[in-house]
Amino acid sequence: MSSTRSNMWKAARRETARALTALVMALLVAFIIVLITSKSPVETFGTLLSGPMTSKRTIGLWIDDVAKLTMTGLAFSLVFQARQFSMGVQGQVYMGGLFSALVALSPIGPTAIGMPAAVLAGMAAGACYGFIPGYAKARLGANEIVSSLMLNYIAVNLVTYLVREPLVAAPGLLSTANFPPNTIFPTLIDRTRIDLGLILALISVAVTWFALYRTSWGLKLRLVGHNARFAEYAGIKANFIMVSAMTASGALGGLLGAMFVQGQAYGKLLVQFEGNLAFEGILIAIVARNRPLAVPVVALFYGYLRQGALIMGIRTDVPTEVIAVVQAIIILLVASSFKFGGGRLLARLKPAKPATATGAGA
Amino acid sequence: MTALLEARGIAKTYPGGTVANNGVDLSIRAGEVHAVVGENGAGKSTLMKILFGIEQPDGGELLLDGKPVHFAGAKAAINAGIGMVFQHFSLVPSFSVYENVVMGSEPKAGLRFDRKRAIAEVRALSEKFRLPVDPLPSVASIPVGQQQRVEILKALYRDARILILDEPTAVLAPQEVEELFVAVRSLVAQGRTVIFIAHKLPEVLEISDSITVMRAGKTVAQVKARDVTEQSLANLMVGREVTLKVDRAVTDKSTVRLEVAGLSVNHENGTTACADIDLRLRTGEIVGLVGVEGNGQQEFMETIAGHRAALRGSAMLDGVDLLDLPVLKRRQAGLANIPQDRIAEGLAVGASLAENMAATRLSDGGFVRHGLLDRKAMKANAAALIDKFAIRAAGPDAAAGTLSGGNMQKVVVARELSEDPKVLLVSQPTRGVDLGATQFIWKTITEARDKGAAVLLSSADLSELMALSDRFLVFYHGEIVAALENDESVTPEALGAFMLGLERQTPEQIRAVSL
Ligand SMILES: Nc1ncnc2c1ncn2[C@@H]1O[C@H](COP(=O)(O)OP(=O)(O)OP(=O)(O)O)[C@@H](O)[C@H]1O
Ligand SMILES: [Mg+2]
Repeated sequence: MSSTRSNMWKAARRETARALTALVMALLVAFIIVLITSKSPVETFGTLLSGPMTSKRTIGLWIDDVAKLTMTGLAFSLVFQARQFSMGVQGQVYMGGLFSALVALSPIGPTAIGMPAAVLAGMAAGACYGFIPGYAKARLGANEIVSSLMLNYIAVNLVTYLVREPLVAAPGLLSTANFPPNTIFPTLIDRTRIDLGLILALISVAVTWFALYRTSWGLKLRLVGHNARFAEYAGIKANFIMVSAMTASGALGGLLGAMFVQGQAYGKLLVQFEGNLAFEGILIAIVARNRPLAVPVVALFYGYLRQGALIMGIRTDVPTEVIAVVQAIIILLVASSFKFGGGRLLARLKPAKPATATGAGA
Repeated sequence: MTALLEARGIAKTYPGGTVANNGVDLSIRAGEVHAVVGENGAGKSTLMKILFGIEQPDGGELLLDGKPVHFAGAKAAINAGIGMVFQHFSLVPSFSVYENVVMGSEPKAGLRFDRKRAIAEVRALSEKFRLPVDPLPSVASIPVGQQQRVEILKALYRDARILILDEPTAVLAPQEVEELFVAVRSLVAQGRTVIFIAHKLPEVLEISDSITVMRAGKTVAQVKARDVTEQSLANLMVGREVTLKVDRAVTDKSTVRLEVAGLSVNHENGTTACADIDLRLRTGEIVGLVGVEGNGQQEFMETIAGHRAALRGSAMLDGVDLLDLPVLKRRQAGLANIPQDRIAEGLAVGASLAENMAATRLSDGGFVRHGLLDRKAMKANAAALIDKFAIRAAGPDAAAGTLSGGNMQKVVVARELSEDPKVLLVSQPTRGVDLGATQFIWKTITEARDKGAAVLLSSADLSELMALSDRFLVFYHGEIVAALENDESVTPEALGAFMLGLERQTPEQIRAVSL
């Protein structure tokens, strides 16, 4: 017993070492890029590294990002553990944000149950949006990567249309009216963006971990992910698990949507409110190897880099896009050194990959 | 005379703390077939991976042609003339045979891949070493036996002087084993050296010149094949007397447990796998399904298990038709299933032993209460089974994938038998399993029978079928062509005549025994 404990620690340390190596390498590459593009590379790099720490406000931005990155990382981890490569978190975020806005702006909004009702509406909308590609795959064999990406476009454009036309606060604006104050998440620390969303994210981490590792549904889900044929053989309804995993992940995505629109940052629905954050969950899930408890840790580091890059983009002559390069480097490093999840995901994303990859020798 | 390849005092401990090799000595002479035998988990595969450079030893040294060498990776070993064929192949299924063979060292015409030359070279190689295989079709479309030839050709294409074959016969039907041996002999005749791992001692004695015996990570003996008998070799391996004989109790066979009527099954491509199968399976008996692989017995078993749809027919278990039920309901009705491919079907190698052993009982009750896992019960169950079946593993939390091949098989057998099934389906239960474990698995299956289970057994190993079965049903081209009671009068030759379709019984004779 104690020996397996210590093995677990050893494994955890190995993983941490790998993740840190990836981080260091990424920083190195970032430095080289800065060196090439900036007139004052040392200063610029300093801004990247220390930017988020410059003020209480920037620290708040960073932590708020961490909460959101954690949510998207969790959503991706959940489907990845079931070996479903649904890319639909972005769409779920928009649908979640839309429906929590609809509830917040409805007569229910100003009532006492306004805030939780809006959050739940967001989660439900996200869950439905996660359910669709799962059901299409189970019933029609539709590839979940393709269908979820299509649904993303629909959601983004639907929200843009609704916000510009029927829901717009005043002609020409790109947002709805402000939500009633009682539907907006209270701050945890004054004059920062750190709000109730952070607590919701941490609760989500605990719930996802519990669901995956302590319930029979979670074990079934992981078994489907490990070996779907074995799961069928053992009498597990793989299709049901697959659809429910995508639905649950959708609820997390929807909750993230609610966190965006009901958070201190906005308090209203606006176009493109997600700012391309959802897809960064893929990277976080890969580095965290789909472990819910590792997700917030990875989000903490990655969120720092991301925030640093944003600040660098504002304050120096190097554009924010450097972070995209850094991101690519991390994905490459991690995918090449991690056996599970990353490599497989990348392999599946490559269209040329033959469908008969399994069933080789045996 | 110096050895071609020598390992001295090799030690290897895996990160999990398992000591796989602990002072292994091995000495291979040029031009011989050298067998390495030993129980499951003795460390054979680990030693081979070290010779091939994909695992690094913690201690000891390797000598090639008398000179110390160190292989940092497979590339270094390949450059030194060593080739290895793993039990689980590493081919690209959608690529053609010749592409797989030359991949990584393609012949070039300028910068272009010279396909013509590649095909010609693969053809020449396959003729030279008597490994017949068509270079053009995709690897996915050829049978396992030929895929193995592709793996061997791949090693030979890279000029392997020393070829390591890790349990090559475990995936082969008996006649394919003969074909492999023809190739091995031709390899040796042309100056190559072969290291060969196997569990079936008759095979080992037939093909090898020298034999190294390993036990618990150590070399315990190196002998000449001509100096040992099956029995003396078995004693060296296990360290005690082993007899592969099981005593079957007299059981009450009055109750019919499973009644199959008119069962027909098609292959995925629409051709007939088996047609109009009728049989009755009674409590307390083992019925052996005999047949050359590919004659429908596997599809028949898969249909009963629920992994394949029946075209028509019924399979009544205590009055319910199994064919109408999903897998979970079949299991709850008392069906258990030891599948033929443990890695693809029987296990999740990434999950822990405790999880693997509980996987078939994840509805409420047993290991689940109100949807929550009873992790204590799961662990206790795994610990008990590990103990009872003498599974070599670090503990219930060890990932199934870290076990040696034979120990994985024991995990599957342990799980399926732990449910006290009414009907037990068993396919190839002792493939890749060592002598002691074979004896043990035979004994447990027989005990399940003695306690009243009805067992359907399919195996490519005739001696296994003859040792365990009460009755035989011989499959040929998807039909039962003979049904026999297992008594002294039944010989392998007699069964062989039915298996090859040279003879068949009348329908009356068949029904008299099959029902
Ligand atoms: N990757 C691994 N991680 C941890 N332990 C391992 C790993 N691979 C093998 N082992 C352990 O090392 C021991 C030796 O394994 P090995 O595969 O060499 O046995 P083997 O002699 O080939 O057995 P078999 O006949 O069953 O194939 C076993 O106890 C096994 O559980
Ligand atoms: Mg082995």
